[in-house]
Amino acid sequence: MIEIKNLQKVYDVKRRQSFFHMTREKVVAVKDISMRIDKGQIVGLLGINGAGKTTTIKMLTTLIEPTNGTYSFDGIDAIANPDLVKRQINMIAGGERMIYWRLTAYENLWYYGQLYGIDNTLLKKRIEKLLQIVGLEDKADLPVETYSKGMKQRLQIARGLINDPKYIFLDEPTIGLDAVVTQDLHKEIRSLAKDQGKGILLTSHYLSEVEELCDYIYLVNKGELVIEGTKKELTDYVFARNRYVFSVRGMDKKIVCRLRDNLRMIDPESEVLFEDGSCTIISKAELSSAIAEFALKEKLVINELHKQEPSLEQAVIKLSKNLERKDTQIA
Amino acid sequence: MKYFIKVVLAESYKQHRNYFNNKMIYVSLFLWPLLSFLASYYSYKAFDLEESAISYINSGNILVFLLIGYMAMSFFRSVVQSAWRFSSERQSGTLEYIYLSPASRLAVLMGNALSSVFESSVVMLVFGILMIFYNRESLHANVVGLVVVMPIYVIMALLWGVFINACFLYSRDTDFLFTILEEPMEIFSGVKVPVMIFPGWAKLLSCIFPLTYALEALRQVTLNNSDLGTIKITVLISILIIVVLLAATLITIHIVEKHVRKTGNIILF
Amino acid sequence: MDLKVMWATMKKEFQIRLRAYPIDFMVGCILTSFYTTLGAYLMYHYFFRQNLASDFADLTGTSDYMSYAIVGSLLYLFVVRTCLNVSRRLITELREGTLESLMLAPFKRTSYFVGNMLLQTVMTFLETAIATVIGLFFGLRIHDFCLWKFVIATILSLYGFFGLSLILGCVMIYARDTYISQNTLFAAIFLVCGITFPKEYLPYSLQFLGNIIPVTDGLTLMRAAILGGMPSDRFCIIALRFFVLGSVYVISGLPLMKRLEIIALEKMEG
Repeated sequence: MIEIKNLQKVYDVKRRQSFFHMTREKVVAVKDISMRIDKGQIVGLLGINGAGKTTTIKMLTTLIEPTNGTYSFDGIDAIANPDLVKRQINMIAGGERMIYWRLTAYENLWYYGQLYGIDNTLLKKRIEKLLQIVGLEDKADLPVETYSKGMKQRLQIARGLINDPKYIFLDEPTIGLDAVVTQDLHKEIRSLAKDQGKGILLTSHYLSEVEELCDYIYLVNKGELVIEGTKKELTDYVFARNRYVFSVRGMDKKIVCRLRDNLRMIDPESEVLFEDGSCTIISKAELSSAIAEFALKEKLVINELHKQEPSLEQAVIKLSKNLERKDTQIA
Repeated sequence: MKYFIKVVLAESYKQHRNYFNNKMIYVSLFLWPLLSFLASYYSYKAFDLEESAISYINSGNILVFLLIGYMAMSFFRSVVQSAWRFSSERQSGTLEYIYLSPASRLAVLMGNALSSVFESSVVMLVFGILMIFYNRESLHANVVGLVVVMPIYVIMALLWGVFINACFLYSRDTDFLFTILEEPMEIFSGVKVPVMIFPGWAKLLSCIFPLTYALEALRQVTLNNSDLGTIKITVLISILIIVVLLAATLITIHIVEKHVRKTGNIILF
Repeated sequence: MDLKVMWATMKKEFQIRLRAYPIDFMVGCILTSFYTTLGAYLMYHYFFRQNLASDFADLTGTSDYMSYAIVGSLLYLFVVRTCLNVSRRLITELREGTLESLMLAPFKRTSYFVGNMLLQTVMTFLETAIATVIGLFFGLRIHDFCLWKFVIATILSLYGFFGLSLILGCVMIYARDTYISQNTLFAAIFLVCGITFPKEYLPYSLQFLGNIIPVTDGLTLMRAAILGGMPSDRFCIIALRFFVLGSVYVISGLPLMKRLEIIALEKMEG
């Protein structure tokens, strides 16, 4: 089990004001994050850019040292023993970089295998098996530059498994991939956790990916945990609130007031926000027909009425704006 | 130790596959030094070679004198180019994966230097040896001296490579290092003009290049039949340089490792 | 020649330089010239104690080795700087993604390249001046300055270098490479064009190569204008030969460049 408690990272940034003058500034990348990853579990780490995701992953992979907090890795103090941890983890990042394009798939895996000091007989077997798992056994001896995006990504996965890690950090693994390849990868990731019992941390910009894969989700913003919980708990809170966009000809505050009164009869907690001549309605209840009926009754000409799928960005922005971490802790 | 060697070999094999599969690379590694060598050789013709300030250099062995200079330099220079390529792994992201592994950093740097030092210089080396063989009557070699000097020279070139690799890997301003390491090294370490006859200020500058000592020792044992007694100071300085280079590299690696973990930034200088 | 295009090109380039002058390029080139001079200085004064080969004066028309080598290194600096700029122009546009929009405009390429060349010339004169001052410290002396010869040598050299830049530019676009092609050419020029020693010392094949690169004759003319030692009729014959050679480069370079632009654009898609 990986467990971090109150992890914090403060960078000391030097800024050159002029040739002779240099000022030092403290930049807080991660303010306070606690989380845990169990074996066989897929944990999601969500956040908008600059939320502190990358720094958190780098601390978890021992690439950087936290300023404060504790990090226990299967009972080992990971901050004091980064080398012990490095043998048992690996990272898989999205994109086409991070592998040698002029080397073949086999050569790439062999090279990284040597860096982990794996015995050559064992390594050979493992490479063959991994290539088979990611479906590259036929192309193993072709240079990576001839591969498609999806193939390079699959090679990344094989590379990340070369030392048979107990824990894997997946940093936006499906970025830029098409739907079919993404589905295959999802299957792979799930099997790593469920069949092989590996602990996985996944970061992603795609809400659906996190929804589909993760057993437990952490949402960070500005270096702090905003909310955490199981998929069910989070969906109830963030994802299950419906958003409607509604506008009519000659929309004004009076109409909005009447609409609000009308909808509150169905869901007393519903919110109606009026901006730029159109309203956004947020509610747990299904309100499309009620809104349509309201327009009919008031003899209004509808310009726009549709249900909005909540995006991750919206959820994060809204949550970080409105909620204090302590109040929102569901788990 | 076995693990260390494993990483060294893997790294040099990777460099070999990654950079030397392009034939054009040999243009830069062989054609340029060759053209430069020829230009130096023909520029000597403007002078009366029998009147040189060094007693053992004459029109008969000036070609070999210069060839040894260029061959030796090709070893020392190749590492600069390869280090420059290695530092590009920072941008391509593969360096992060190397840092993610528990592999010895020294082994990685050494593997890279090993591949570049030998691979980059092999064509020049073969060419030089053939030319020297062709002009073998101008040699005046001390075999014992040569046997001692050769390994010292190779280890020095290798460690110079490791050290330069470390500098390039952790430095933002690699162009600056290029400016220092290319042309000044050619002039001040005595590739074309022997250091011995330099004016004082130039001699002082030449001290900082390990190639100076390697070259001096190599030429003394091949052209002047010098025995170990004659060149013992040069040899001792060379061994000292080897120790200093190794220590400097280890210290750099250690500092960088600490720095990286603290700032998340691999650039130190 | 379309002066409007030429002027606009110069202005655009000048603005780019003003904002981000490639100072490291400039320093690098001046340093190269400095090191070449220093190398010659050490060889002449310390290694061979000022003993020149007996045929040196006959071949070069001067017995002042330092001035001979410094003029060579200065002109070499000039060639490198102009070639670097003009040849790399199109491939830079290609890399920065402005080539397509540039090709869309129906303008004369000649003006575009001449504009680049002229601006670069002005800039390079400045750098060469700095290098000349350094050269004076190492013993550059003007023995027999002749103004009309100097003017002719300068104009013809620019013409020849321009032609060379075009051809080099074609090679760069075709090979999609700047690093290997430019440095190979520069190393070759340094060897065969008589930069620090008379090309007559070279074997015949390399001498021939030197004769067909439009730098060698320019250098001979320039030395004659500054260091003297060449009768006027001989000067005129070499000047004429140099003009013909430069014309071959320019006349074949411009259409070839146009052809390669098209290839470059096609390659961009694939």
